[in-house]
Formats: sequence, C-alpha cells, structure tokens
Amino acid sequence: MDILGLVSGLLLLWAFGIACLAALPRRNAWVDTPGAIPWTIGTGGLVGLFLATLWLRALSLAGIHFSVVAIALPLLIVTLALGAWVARREGVTRASLRRCVRDASSAFTGSALDSTSRILWRLLLLWLAVRFALLAVEIATRPLFPWDSWTQWATKARVWYELGRIVPFERTDAWFAANGAAYFDAGPNYPGTVGLMQVLASNFLGRWDDTLMNAPFWMLAVAFAFAVYGALRAMDFSPMWALTGTWLVASLPLANAHVALAGYADLPLAIYFAVAVLAALRWLQSREPADAAVALLLVVACPLLKIPGRIWALLVAPALIVGLLPRLGPRIVGAGYGLAVLGLLLLAQTNPVIMGYHLHIDFAPDWEALANSFFLNDNWHLLWYGAIVAAILGRRHLLAPRIAPLTVVIGGGVIFLSIVLLFTNARNWLSDQSTVNRAALHLAPLVAIWMLVTFRAWAQSLADVVPAATVDVPPELPPPALPPDLPPAAPAAP
Amino acid sequence: MTLALAVIVVVLVYLAFAVPASWFPSSPVKQWGVRDLALPRGTGSVANSELVITGMDASGQVYVAITTDLRARDYATILWNVRNLPADAEVHFLWRSDYAPKKVFSVPVAVEAGRLLPVVLANDAGWLGHVTGIGLSIRGTMVQPFGVAGATAKPSGALGTLADRAREWLAFEPWRGTSINSIAGGDDLQPLPLPLLLAVAIALAGATLLLRRRFRPASRTLDVAAAIAIMFAVSWLVLDARWTWNLVRQAQATIAQYGGKDWRGKHLAAEDGALFDFVEKARAAMPQTPVRVFVGSEADYFRERAAYHLYPHNVYAEPRQNTLPPSNLVKPGDWMLVFQRRNVQFNPTTGELRWDGGAPVSAQLKLRGDGAALFLIQ
Repeated sequence: MDILGLVSGLLLLWAFGIACLAALPRRNAWVDTPGAIPWTIGTGGLVGLFLATLWLRALSLAGIHFSVVAIALPLLIVTLALGAWVARREGVTRASLRRCVRDASSAFTGSALDSTSRILWRLLLLWLAVRFALLAVEIATRPLFPWDSWTQWATKARVWYELGRIVPFERTDAWFAANGAAYFDAGPNYPGTVGLMQVLASNFLGRWDDTLMNAPFWMLAVAFAFAVYGALRAMDFSPMWALTGTWLVASLPLANAHVALAGYADLPLAIYFAVAVLAALRWLQSREPADAAVALLLVVACPLLKIPGRIWALLVAPALIVGLLPRLGPRIVGAGYGLAVLGLLLLAQTNPVIMGYHLHIDFAPDWEALANSFFLNDNWHLLWYGAIVAAILGRRHLLAPRIAPLTVVIGGGVIFLSIVLLFTNARNWLSDQSTVNRAALHLAPLVAIWMLVTFRAWAQSLADVVPAATVDVPPELPPPALPPDLPPAAPAAP
Repeated sequence: MTLALAVIVVVLVYLAFAVPASWFPSSPVKQWGVRDLALPRGTGSVANSELVITGMDASGQVYVAITTDLRARDYATILWNVRNLPADAEVHFLWRSDYAPKKVFSVPVAVEAGRLLPVVLANDAGWLGHVTGIGLSIRGTMVQPFGVAGATAKPSGALGTLADRAREWLAFEPWRGTSINSIAGGDDLQPLPLPLLLAVAIALAGATLLLRRRFRPASRTLDVAAAIAIMFAVSWLVLDARWTWNLVRQAQATIAQYGGKDWRGKHLAAEDGALFDFVEKARAAMPQTPVRVFVGSEADYFRERAAYHLYPHNVYAEPRQNTLPPSNLVKPGDWMLVFQRRNVQFNPTTGELRWDGGAPVSAQLKLRGDGAALFLIQ
C-alpha cells in the first residue's frame, strides 16, 4: 500500500509537470515537432518534481505542516484543471486521443522502421529497460549508502520530513547560538532541493525509509532519457540514431552509479543543467515562449540543487549569445571566457576563496589521475575518447550556427572544470578520485549530445565532398543556402 | 570486420610488450594457498582463508615465506594475493634457488590499491635454476591488518596473459564507498583497461578507413563516417555489456543482503548494523521530541553514521575531527552518545562525566552498550 502511494505520488508529480508544460502558451502546435511528445514527457518529469519542491518551500513558509493532502491535493487539482484546459484549447477528442496513443505506440514499437532497424530498435529498448530495471532493484533494496548522502543531504530530508517543515541548518557557531532552533550536519550551507525531493517521496510513502525515498532519482533518470530522445529527434536525428544517442547518455556507468547509489546532488544537477541547455537550444530554433519558460525554470533549479549549479546556470547565457548573434556571438563569448580566465588567474596571485574553493596558482595537475578518470577507468565508457575525436574531425563545424551554442557551453564547462581541478584545492581530490568524476558528471550528458551533433556535421560534410559522379543527383535544384549569419526563419503566423 | 582486425592487431602489439618470455609455454600455473604460508617474522593468524597479519616484529618487518619446487625458467611471473597493504609499505620479493643456495635474491614490489603488482622475473639475472623458496618482506607503518591469501607462479605466455586480462575485465566490482566517485570497470588493477584497448582499436581502424578513402579513389564511396559510428557503437556495447553483467551480479548481491527485509532489518544487515542497533536502543531511551545530542567516536564513519541514525534529534557531530565540544558549551538537558571513543570517563558514584581531560559535568548514564554509552547531561 505504501509503495502504491509512492508510485502514485511520483506519477502525479510527473503528470503535474507534463500538464504545466502542455499548458504553456505556444505559437505552433507542439506535437508537430519531431520528438515533442517524449520531450514533453521527459521534461515534464523534471519540471513536476522541481515545482513540487518549490511547493514544499511555499508550504513551509506558510506554516502548513507537510502531509500527503497538503502536497498532493493542490497538485492534483492543478493537474486536472490544466489537463482539461489544454484538452479544450487543443480540441482534444476521444478520436484524436486514440490516434495519438496509436501513433505513440507505433513509434514506441518501431513499427514504421524497416525490418533491420526495427529489430535493432527493439533490442535497444530492451537493453535500456533492463538497465533501468537493474537500477530500480538497487533503488528499492539498498539503504542509503554513499558517504555524503547521509552526512549532508539526507540529514535535511530526515529532519524536514519528521518535523513537517523546513528548519535551518547552520554552521557550528550559529548552531550553538541557536540553542536548539537550528540543525547541524556536514554541509549546513548546501541547498535543500535534493532533500526536499526525498521529503516528497517519504510523504507519499507515509514513513521514513531511506531506501525507497530515493525513488525520485530513478524517476529523474528515466525522465531524462525521454527528454534526451525528444531533444535529439528535434535536432533531426532519425529515430534509430536518437535512441542510440539516448542509450549512450543513459548508459554512462558513473551516472548509473549515481542512480543505484542515490543520494548525491550531482546527477540531478547534471540532468537539470543538460535539459536546461537543450531547452535553450530548442528556444533558439523555435522561439516558442514555452521552451524559454522551461529553460528558465530548469536554469533556476541548478543553483538550488548544488552550489556549483550557479556556474553551470551561468553557462546557458553564452549559448544564448551565440545563438542570437551568430556573427558576433562567438567573439563576444570567446572574449568573455578569455577575460574570465585572465581575471581568475590574476585573482589566483593571491589566495581567494570562491564558492568554497581556494583559488591559487599552483599548477601541478595529477595527469595520471586525470587519465585514469577519463580514459582508463570505465566511468564513461568511450565518451571522452569520442568527444575528442569528434572535436578533431568536426573542428570546422564547431562554430556552425546550429552547433556553436552547444560548443560554447561545452567549452565554458571544460574551462570551469579545468580551473577547479587544476588551480584550486579541488586538485587534492583529483588524486584520490573523490571529486573529479562527480564534477565531470555535471557536463558529461551534454558532452555526449555535443559529440553526436559534431560527428554528424563532419559525416555530412564528408558525404558532400564525394565526387559528383558517385552522388545521386536530385531532380530538383536544392534551395539556395542561407548566409550563415542570418537568424533562423521566423515561424509561420498561426 | 575492420574493428575486429584492429583489435587483433592491438592485442598482438600489446602481447609483444607484455609477454616476458615464451609465448606458448607448456608449464602449468602453480598456486600456493594459505596452508603453504609460513610467518617467520611478524604476528598474524589464519582467518577466512587468508593469513591476517596484525603486527610486525621488533625490527618493524613482516616476512612471509613459501617452500617451493619450481624451475625458474618455466615461470616468468609471481603474483602475490595480498590485500589492504598500506600505500607506503616497502615490499620486497625474495627467493632462494639451487643456483646459488647461500644467496637470497630480492626485487622490490610495487603496491597499488592495497595490493601487490605482479613480479615479472623472466629477465632477472638471479631467476635461475630450481627455486626452493619464495617470500615477501614487508616494512612500513602498520595502520591496519592486511591479508596474504597465497601466491601464484605463472608462465605468462600469450594465452595466459590474455586470460588474466579477460579475468580482470570481467572481475566483479561490487558497490563500495568509492563507487559514487569512480568505477574501475572490473578489477582495480588492470595493465590493459578495456576502454583503452577498444579506443585504440577504433582509432586504428578509423585511420585505416580514412587513409584508404583518401589514397584509393575506388573506395571513395565508402561511408567512413557510418563505419566509424558503427565501430564506436559496437565498442560501447561491449563495454556496456560488461557493465550490465556487473550490475546483474550486484543486484543479486544487494538482494542477498537486503532483500525481503523491512527498513530496520536492512539497517541491521548493513555494514554498521551493530551501531544502528545501539542507536535504536538509544532513541528508545530518549524523548520523542527532538533534543540536542552530541556524538563522539574515534572513527569519522561511526561518528557520522551515529549522527545520521539519530536524526531528527538535533545532532552535533564534528564531521572531520574526533572532537567533542568543550564542557562549557554543553547544557543540562543535552544528551551525549559515544561509540568506540577513548578519553570519555563516567563516574557512576559521583555522576560525573568528563571527556578529553576537560572539566566534568553532571550526567546520568542512560544506556550502555559494547564500547558505547548514552548520557543525559544534568
């Protein structure tokens, strides 16, 4: 019964997120875009869970004790109301709903693909299903395991769940001064969103259970897979390649470990950051207010998940600059990155502390540890090899209009990680492998997507230089190419 | 096909460097277990099929010996099965042979991840004749006990080397405290990590295809990009299959440890089950409403775990130092839980509690366990 409550509660949050997304104003019919449904399903899961944590903050602020009724009832009402409103707005009928379900089912089973592709499609889906099933076994069976999860993340969840409200966590001096009004743990200044996700699960479950309370991590991973598939489809990848890309992202071993051994904020941050960037890229193409709203909301989530989320959130801005100003943007962003690096290096002449990291010039990287992390251990399968090769092969396309926004995010992320890992006290955590991979995890899913996009650009350019005699000449002349600096065509008026 | 050929080429190149002697030796692998081990220096005892070394001798040395009967030229490598060695341990492999019976030969052995790397002796000038005894000399700080389960003498031919690599790739890697930070991909020690092998093979195959496309006009129609993409996906699949197999074995282990248990049962079955049991009893002795609790333990792990189990009480435990607050910061009505913590004294006659040589405070012993106690400050 309690597990039923947990599953129903999380599905409600998922439905709530989907309803919110579907209700956002749009200029074009959203289901017409390739991958719109999986994108909405995936992003809906992230949005629903994050909005629910904001709802918990609001309840606590209003002095309302956390309970299933206080949490779920308003969300259920809003979900139903939004669902009804969207159905009326979109003119949804039983017949159209049935058709939609039939189309989705057909897409899911790959029945539109040729026989070889269909077999591969189904095998890949089965592979992913097995992966998520294995991760679900761990989530449902193993009590909270990794160190920080029980020293600084779930501590807050336990207290907030049992007290039914959010109470502050303070550092030592403030804790003694508070005389029992504040709490203490190993990370009192850490954001509370992960803890609130666990509070949500505990409330739906109806009891404290530090095994099942991590179910939202699994939900996020599944939702993320949907979102990645939808995003790749919107980038004109074929269903088969989009699913392959989804598999690459969903099978990263370290990301899997963060689901199975849930409790750290790194995977949620990686997921929210990646989808925030993907939503921003969608907005650059579509100029739909809905995509902008999703990007904005998910960007806001990043710093509320983990402190480095502040930097990751800022990195969405270069993507927008490059996307909006194709000619000047790369120069502006390049200059900005250069100035930022220069500024940090100047600052590093002293010994400033930025977000808890001691920044000081003492360049002595542990190359062996770096090689182990990215290339020799199986944290990432072949991700970093692939990314480097894609960057080399596709070097001429990195700043092409459709790739440049993602390139500058990856570039900024690599600069950020390099500064943190090579110039700050985090370098000490490189040798013992305690931080380097978790820091890289924030960027890894986007790197996988960028690798695919860049490789495809190179592959297309390779196809273009095949001698004319070997190319099938189309009967019609191709449309004239747009100059690269022109913004995308404005969408048609409704 | 190209990828398979590239893998074969890379493996052959690797073997050319890795095989120290004959590629196809005829001698079988020789193994010595815990029953064959002698401990002339140091202290230890046999437990769980390994010799657990608990102390050094007066000169700060441990010496583990095995009487052997092997022809040196038939065996290129000796591998000691040791775990938990301190990283700064100074380890030497020693042997005696009928070639120079009065001489003891020695080579240093590297320690990595608490284990010993294989000792390759094929080209050592002293590795000759009939080896009558081998041993390990270990010097260093004895931080914790370490175990020696035995040793293996290997001919280290091509097939044996490949079998060793395959065993390392497929070794079960259970969840550990460090798994959240890093996944080794099989055994902790891998001379040839599988991702590296596959990446080099793809690079070789991809470069071959690109060069062929460039210099042989007839092959220009070849879709090199698709070929590279497929090789990449297949290699990823190989790695992912290994990882999935590891997850399957891990799921079995997790279910064996925790399956069918309720929340309390799972915690009792966890690594800190004894601590959890004590904290549960302590919680029963404490008020229902949250109170301030100070937690002390020598080990960071137990201190923080005890604190975690005590929430939603208002717990204070120093995350990174084995310290308790000075007694002037502790008030009547506060609680104190200690678990395996030295320098805490309680006088039941006077009802005084003191720690770390500080001023005593009035307290009541509410619960006593094995190396653990719960006090109410008065």
